[in-house]
Amino acid sequence: MAFLIRTVSHSAEGREIVRTRRVEGERLSVGRDPACDIHLTDLAVALRHVVIERRDDRLKVAVEPGLSVELNGRKASVGQIELGTGGDILIASHALRFMPAAAGSDEIEVAVERTGDAEVKLDKSAERLFTLASVLPGKRGLAWLLALLVLAIGLAWPIKAYYDRREKAETFAKFHADEIWSSGSLSSAHAGLKGNCTACHVKPFEAVRDTACKTCHSKVHDHADPIRLARARPDLGRWRRIELAFKETFDLPPGRCVECHTEHEGKKEMPVTAQRFCADCHGDLRKKLPDTPLPDAGDFGRAHPQFSPVLIAGWSGERPVLKRLPLAGRPQEDSGLKFPHALHLSATSGVAQMARRLGGRYGFGQALECKDCHDPAPDGARFQPVDMEQDCAMCHDLAFDRSGGTLRTLRHGEPAQVVADLRDFYRGRNAARPSVLAPAARRRPGDSPDLRNRIQFARGPGSAERAIRGVFSPGGACWGCHRIDAPLAGSLDFRIRPVAFPLRYLHKGWFDHRAHATQSCSSCHGAERSNAASDLLIPDLGSCRTCHGGEGSSKPVPSSCAMCHDYHMDAGAPSMLIRQRVKGKKRDTAVAQARR
Amino acid sequence: MPEGLLTSAARPHGMMASIPRTDLGASHEGFLRHRNFRWAKVSLILSLLALLGYALIDAQPRPNGGSPYGYALGTVGVLLILWLTLLGIRKRAMTRGRWSLKAWTSAHVYLGLALVVIATLHTGFQFGWNVHTLAYALMILVVLSGLYGIVAYTRLPRQLGASRSEMTRPQMIDAVMKLDRQLRTAAQPLGHEDARIVQLSLDDKVFAGGLYRRLSGRHDRCKTARALAETRRRLAVSAGEEAQALESVAALLERKSAALARIRHHLRVKALLEIWLWVHVPVTFALIAALAAHIVSVFFYW
Repeated sequence: MAFLIRTVSHSAEGREIVRTRRVEGERLSVGRDPACDIHLTDLAVALRHVVIERRDDRLKVAVEPGLSVELNGRKASVGQIELGTGGDILIASHALRFMPAAAGSDEIEVAVERTGDAEVKLDKSAERLFTLASVLPGKRGLAWLLALLVLAIGLAWPIKAYYDRREKAETFAKFHADEIWSSGSLSSAHAGLKGNCTACHVKPFEAVRDTACKTCHSKVHDHADPIRLARARPDLGRWRRIELAFKETFDLPPGRCVECHTEHEGKKEMPVTAQRFCADCHGDLRKKLPDTPLPDAGDFGRAHPQFSPVLIAGWSGERPVLKRLPLAGRPQEDSGLKFPHALHLSATSGVAQMARRLGGRYGFGQALECKDCHDPAPDGARFQPVDMEQDCAMCHDLAFDRSGGTLRTLRHGEPAQVVADLRDFYRGRNAARPSVLAPAARRRPGDSPDLRNRIQFARGPGSAERAIRGVFSPGGACWGCHRIDAPLAGSLDFRIRPVAFPLRYLHKGWFDHRAHATQSCSSCHGAERSNAASDLLIPDLGSCRTCHGGEGSSKPVPSSCAMCHDYHMDAGAPSMLIRQRVKGKKRDTAVAQARR
Repeated sequence: MPEGLLTSAARPHGMMASIPRTDLGASHEGFLRHRNFRWAKVSLILSLLALLGYALIDAQPRPNGGSPYGYALGTVGVLLILWLTLLGIRKRAMTRGRWSLKAWTSAHVYLGLALVVIATLHTGFQFGWNVHTLAYALMILVVLSGLYGIVAYTRLPRQLGASRSEMTRPQMIDAVMKLDRQLRTAAQPLGHEDARIVQLSLDDKVFAGGLYRRLSGRHDRCKTARALAETRRRLAVSAGEEAQALESVAALLERKSAALARIRHHLRVKALLEIWLWVHVPVTFALIAALAAHIVSVFFYW
């Protein structure tokens, strides 16, 4: 009985080296102890790890207590091997292969081979082990991965979203992938178009066209006749020619809405149109369009024409004739009224004295002020026309009689009724004419003796006609303010010339009184120096320029064209002002402070 | 630039001076100082010109990548990025002279810094959660990693040289392997339990561990250290032959610990020296992809 042990090892070149020796006997000890029949140097092997004993046609495997081996692929501490079939024992990194042997055979062949590499083999030439490349994925693969990821999310996905939307097959309603292309939020006016890129960007690789804008803005009209617009275009300087060439190359037709109305500039009002968009053409419009009625206009501080208000230049019968006249020619207005502003605003005249007396009742101060007679319109931008009963009658009383506790007044605006009332009053009475029926008679508070005088005068015999003529003649109550067409001799058909005030003087530009509330009225209008109603108290360019300059001006209020003018002209305020007012934007100009 | 940058002993992988060592001498000039900062000056002038244009040109309604000047800056920027990327190809061929690799590297560094100015002005300081800002962010990431790389190349190669105490890398590995063999022999007389402790150390893989271990140099669960501690503990309670064997094993484990520490320090310095390239290179290609998306998107929704 013997074991034939074949120790298999490999040379450096991989050649198999087999050493064979015989161990006589029925027992075979395996362990790290050099005294063992099979000596394994692996430290994982115990000094005496396992004993294999032959019992007839079996091999009994007995592992030292607490240890184990792998017997035919299964972990075991005791077991046996049929000689007929042979078997494997795996101890740490060594495999013991018992070859099949015939039932009564004398020799059992055992192959001992090192399977696992117990020795940590370090490839000496592997500089690579020291580099990060050994623990990180390759840079090239990483580069491809990242690049493809970016292209997929940043390019392919949005493009797919565009075509999906066109085919109406878009799946995500809440997020549209092409939004990640948006270079900035849309203005608040267009906030509703967020996520609807194709509303404006209709066709790929085609710049936004006006047709897209006009889908919604259907009522915006052209600035002027397109032919005249084209003619008015400025000569192109070198840079502009380069710019135009660039625009031609990249399909950016000039003159589109979006040139002025730039978008994706953040969630606020659309930015104000720059001054140059106006000044480019209007700066020297006369050269381009000699027949234009418009004077050249550029920077407000340096190149703006004097204002030309529309005023009542005269009368054609009962109708006022409106004319647009430049302020430079010091035009006179004919409102049909006589009214000396200076007298009314004086702090020392009788008017002031009367204002002080009536102050308690009407809220006058030490002298009359503009607001005592002029009422702003509800929008605050302009003023309501002066109304005799509302604005003048506090002082300019037309009372002529007392009936019980009620004062009878002449009817303003109805001369025929005045004649009839007076005639009625004087019927069969005569008295000395009281001084209070003098021109522009003023009632003093608690003035009952005067009233008595009037009544006595009225009772005088046969004076109705005289009184009527007196009212309409120089020194009479009507004559003080109105121009009167005298009737033919013998007739009492007196006619008052009509009175009219323009509601708006500056039609081409916009002016808002509210924006100027911090200023005193007289600082612009200078009414306290005007002695005639024909004086036009519209401030001139120089007055505005005290505070306003052009777009880049250092004046307190740098003002681009858009502050007063609108490209798409209509009667309302320029859209820039509307936007600022509606959105309550924090403004940084004097205009703004006024409105706060 | 400290002396010794890019001397051949400390020359890091992937960035080589073009001059043979024999020419170096005392007059060696690093790529940062190249030709008395020629490219630094060029870049400075380029940046100042870009800033001057930005200040003088009144883009309406506000500075914008879509204004004429914005397009100009964008074009310069993208060309610069593409040229800067070419260093990846150019570096594979080392040449000398006016257009030497050193000159290229110098230009790469300084023009890359000028790119930050140009691209930032191109944005008009308008940022958002979009593909355009993504491209900008990636560019900044690339530049920052490049800056780190310069600092690393300035400071670390000296440590790399010092850390290996006159040994080559294969020698360092060899030392550990020799110790392992000695350990294996010395542990043969040990009992099974003691042998398993030694086996712990033998199973210790020197180059195991991921990026974190490489960069931090932390090997808290080092098996050799544990084996050493355990061996010492057992040594205190053993006697006779066993004590003798354990003593020799402990001495070997100590030497192995030192050898491992040397390798690990080397690995850490090398990782710190190389890590930026794993950002710089892949993100560059992500940047180019983002640029493509940026440009195509602008024209798609023109």
